[in-house]
Amino acid sequence: MSLFFLTLGFGLVTASVLSLLSVGLSLQFGVTNFVNFAYGSYLSAGMLFTWTFATKLHFPFVIAALAGVIFTSLLAVIVNEIVFEPFSKRRKSIFYMLIVTFGLSLVLDSVLQIFYGVGFEKFPITQSEALHIGPFDFTVVQLWIIAVAILSMIVIHLLLTRTSLGKQMRAMSDNPELAKISGVDTRTVTRSTWALSGALAGLGGVVLALNTVVFQTTTGDDLLFVIFAAVILGGIGQTYGAMLGALVIGIVTEVSAVWVSSAYKQDVAFLILVVMLLVRPQGIIPAQGKA
Amino acid sequence: MTVILGYAATILIFFFTYNIFTLGLNIQFGYAGILNFTVITFMAVGGYVSAVLVMPHADTANGIYYILGLGLPWPIAALGGVLASGLLGLLIGQIALRRLRSDYLAIVTLATGTLLYGLAGNVTSMFDGWQGLFNVPQPFAGFRNWTPLGYSIFFVIMAGIIFGLLWLFANRLYKSPLGRVMRAVRDDQDVVEAFGKNTFRIRMTAMVIGCMYIGVGGVLTIAYITALSPAGWTTGETFVVWAALLVGGRANNLGAVVGSFLVAVVFNESTRYLPQMPSHPNLIPDIRYILIGLAVILTIWFRPQGVIPERKNTFYEVPLGKDVNAKPGQTSLEADLAKVGE
Repeated sequence: MSLFFLTLGFGLVTASVLSLLSVGLSLQFGVTNFVNFAYGSYLSAGMLFTWTFATKLHFPFVIAALAGVIFTSLLAVIVNEIVFEPFSKRRKSIFYMLIVTFGLSLVLDSVLQIFYGVGFEKFPITQSEALHIGPFDFTVVQLWIIAVAILSMIVIHLLLTRTSLGKQMRAMSDNPELAKISGVDTRTVTRSTWALSGALAGLGGVVLALNTVVFQTTTGDDLLFVIFAAVILGGIGQTYGAMLGALVIGIVTEVSAVWVSSAYKQDVAFLILVVMLLVRPQGIIPAQGKA
Repeated sequence: MTVILGYAATILIFFFTYNIFTLGLNIQFGYAGILNFTVITFMAVGGYVSAVLVMPHADTANGIYYILGLGLPWPIAALGGVLASGLLGLLIGQIALRRLRSDYLAIVTLATGTLLYGLAGNVTSMFDGWQGLFNVPQPFAGFRNWTPLGYSIFFVIMAGIIFGLLWLFANRLYKSPLGRVMRAVRDDQDVVEAFGKNTFRIRMTAMVIGCMYIGVGGVLTIAYITALSPAGWTTGETFVVWAALLVGGRANNLGAVVGSFLVAVVFNESTRYLPQMPSHPNLIPDIRYILIGLAVILTIWFRPQGVIPERKNTFYEVPLGKDVNAKPGQTSLEADLAKVGE
């Protein structure tokens, strides 16, 4: 039983990391209507930028993480401005958009590898002793990860429901043409969405790196399909679905370690993805016209 | 002279195998509009399965592990490898080729690639883990007493013949009714479905044939270099094939050949001789991938049809009304059909 609660605790931490990442991917998919295969590079960029600020420039860790998140967000906006925005105007075909994002992931990964090499990096923070909270064991860092994720989800909920920008994003996600003729400035909303998606990728990357302790340039890409599994499980393009999907995938993959070796965590996520595509490809919360 | 000939032979074999990969991807993407983002995994599956079928029992005493090790004759093993690739394609198609947006298939192929890469690396008992298979017996190596150069030349001829046959088949497929309906599915699935065609089966056929092509390339690769480790089939390698297809021209087999030549031979071989920097051993491969990624993005921007674009079919339109060319007693349609016949 203690093993179950231990893995359940890990599951909550993994779900927290995944929730940031899958909401970031899902929001952007909803607004722009194509999957970004370069997302893995964004989260690698988030953790590596933070690493640079923390170890090379000796910023306090929280400031370094904040700077890492802002720079990843900037990266996402710049990539959108010089690649995605012009492409979606010129070539409407979804095939081409997907190939472009796929090619971009190769380019960004290679650029990161030139600067950071292929070795493993580590944040300059000390791992604390585990704290016993009820039946769970958490390190202080893990509690921070959960707190950051919950806070971010609340902020995103408020953004989507209470602000004009959030309402415009939801409108574009439902029907871009209708949003446009209703006076939504689609260009600005798209740009803001990329900024938010990049920031969440960066933040998710930083907390992922905190959770796995060591990381390298390919860490983001290795997790990419687990994020896809969470997004598809919840319903592609659905923000709350992505949160739900992240919770399910995070807990199931970690608790599965009770029965199968934890080396096969990702395979469990893949299994959920396959079953979901066979049984209910539109996801738990289906979005109109996205499946 | 021998060195130059041997080098030329190796390049020719690479050219042929990359051509086969690109033809396979062309059948999937060019003909039927299927986004396969893990081309290289099918290559690896074909290569690995044929290798474990042809190799003798694993030498576990020396810490070398792999499954099967049946020591079968080479043609049967090769067939096994190709079938394994096709089977994997069938499984992936069953999951993702239903009435879903093409994003899903792309996601599932990429996920399968990542998963199998991890499995092949971590489960040592399958294909000897990260070390990969080596000392794979070469086809017809004991046929006569080959000199290394003689064998390479023999292999070039064999690969060339296999490529030639696959090329003919791919062209036949393009012109056949099946190829035509594949292209129709690519252009508008709903219309084809409205005509009562089973689009799932058509796309699945393209998927499996393409995967078997890529499997043939994998069998040839492992047979020639006699070794394959997971480090040899990363996502970047998949993109080399995509770059070859898109630069050359999708849905045109001649374009696939030109693209393979430009990307896999000219570009890959020329960047091989750039000076290495001892402090950054990965710099050259990284720059190569950046350039390949940029080549694809720029091709889609400036010339999405590629160097050699697809030839659009021109259909003869039957004019309405009375035809001046019609002979007495002949309708205008008959006159036109007679003209087409000439």
